[in-house]
Amino acid sequence: MSAMDRARPGDPATYGTRVVKPADFDAFWEEVLAQAARIPLNPIMKPVPLRSTPEVEVFEVYYDSLDGVRVAGWYCLPRERTEPLPAMVYYPGYISEPTLPKAQARQGYATFGAAPRGKLRSNRQYNPGYPGLLTHNIIDRHTYAYRGFYVDAWRVIDFLLSRPEVDPARIGVQGGSQGGALTLLTAAMRPEVRAAAAQAPYLAGMIDAIELTHSYPYEEINEYLRLHPEHRPAVEETLAYFDCINFVDRIRCPIIVNIGLNDNVCPPETGFAVFEAIGSPDKKLYTYPGHGHDANRYEHDAIVAEFFRHHLMGA
Amino acid sequence: MTISIPPAPADFDRYWAATLDELAALPIAAELTPIPMRSTDFATLYELRLTSIGPYRIFSYYSVPKGDGPFPVLYHAPGYGSVVHIAAYEERQRYVTVALRHRGQRLSDQPFAAAYPGLLTTGITDPSTYVYRGIVADCCRVIDFLLQRPEVDADRIAVVGDDLALFTAALRPQVDALYFAPTLFYAASQLAPQTGSYPLEEFNDYVRSYPEQAGEVWRTLSYFEPTHFAPKVAADTVLVTGNERDALSPAVLAPLIQAFARPPELYTTAHSGYRDGVHQASWLAQRYGFGEPLLPPHWQ
Repeated sequence: MSAMDRARPGDPATYGTRVVKPADFDAFWEEVLAQAARIPLNPIMKPVPLRSTPEVEVFEVYYDSLDGVRVAGWYCLPRERTEPLPAMVYYPGYISEPTLPKAQARQGYATFGAAPRGKLRSNRQYNPGYPGLLTHNIIDRHTYAYRGFYVDAWRVIDFLLSRPEVDPARIGVQGGSQGGALTLLTAAMRPEVRAAAAQAPYLAGMIDAIELTHSYPYEEINEYLRLHPEHRPAVEETLAYFDCINFVDRIRCPIIVNIGLNDNVCPPETGFAVFEAIGSPDKKLYTYPGHGHDANRYEHDAIVAEFFRHHLMGA
Repeated sequence: MTISIPPAPADFDRYWAATLDELAALPIAAELTPIPMRSTDFATLYELRLTSIGPYRIFSYYSVPKGDGPFPVLYHAPGYGSVVHIAAYEERQRYVTVALRHRGQRLSDQPFAAAYPGLLTTGITDPSTYVYRGIVADCCRVIDFLLQRPEVDADRIAVVGDDLALFTAALRPQVDALYFAPTLFYAASQLAPQTGSYPLEEFNDYVRSYPEQAGEVWRTLSYFEPTHFAPKVAADTVLVTGNERDALSPAVLAPLIQAFARPPELYTTAHSGYRDGVHQASWLAQRYGFGEPLLPPHWQ
């Protein structure tokens, strides 16, 4: 009988986590980043007239990342602009298509919709599919899917820093679910990030989550372990190197997080745990009873917009 | 805003009859392959491949509960995006479930891979070439398959989703329960210009880039106007609306609501995956005699 079949603990805020940081966690990621640093970004920007408007220019972006994978993104610039611009990165959910953040650029940001490997337009060389990504090479941290995927997300910041129209001191990151995870991870690993907003973060408390929910994507791990029970120790070992909880103590920028207390996809227990681990002294958690994986985005989006106006626009 | 829906094209019925005739002329050619890794002690999951018009080979995830059937069906019509996920763990315990990936979506993306954004305007200047003609046929083909299956209770087939769920229920009267939220096609020529957000922005992009083709675009979309499908729906229906502040408020949706031959039950979204999910699960469970729905722990 799994933990899920027993009564859930009453208070998700005090559930805690079984996630433990490996002793060589920092060394592992230093080596990954060293490998990535040896790969030039080689960015290109192609105008996309079909998607551009009188107010916003849209570009298709490609850059190189770990393992030589060519990664895509959407980049939008307000035509009427006073440079340097604040920049905003939008990270995608697990099965979501990458955002084309044209409407958001009208608010005065240089906006970037990230498409890490495996997403459309970034899947020519790497395409484990959905379901599939979460368990691809999950018994080996050196080749696990998210190793390159995380680096792809972090290198968006390098692209923005390469752009003359971007103010390097005013870069924000945001996203929901997997996008929320990538937001946390990028805020942790890239000190250039000035402000971050993560919604219903995924990839946090993973070994807890698989006991709390049978919803996808985490169910992919349960499926894998049903088929390969002998690999459980290796799976747990790998996940420890990729769990947001082990990254977020590095975060120093202002950050807000919102979770739904009835989230069956990324259980609120894991949201509380990852928020608790965030190192920034300027952090705030918004909890929404009666909401699931949406985390009350319908109303919370206004809070996010104001948060970034304050931190990136000086409003 | 006030919405006014022009009459359906004169050949609307002929267009769709011809599409379904084209589908009927092709074999279903169903191919079921078990997926042990994603099967459980209560349900077997299969890869399902079928032939649709084109001809085109389409993929679905098909889950069958273990034990004595026949079972009611919960068919997830595909949404707008390249990935359609396997039905929920809880749903698979009671229902035969289908999660179709229509042409262009992942695993149905050879030889045609849909672009996002882009799919919504693929072939849009002519109703005969618009990609959604084939996509609607893909959705109907799944019903054809289900009606052949011994594990399926053909009197209890529910379709859930967005516009494609409505189109499927309208064109395949064997569907007896429909739970849908209009999303893409309703009053497109009037609602798309009101937004700058995708996916509807795809229509705006196209018309802005090719203004000389605007007439053809809106003409093609008239064959996909949900209001023209609604009178053909025989299924018990829940129509999900926005609230008064939303683009798809009950007032905006009035022409669609009034077009149903049998008034649909209206449900106003709570903009909560939890509340909306519980509502859908409860409606289906009660309708099919299960009483209480099976829900994920965090929804209980």
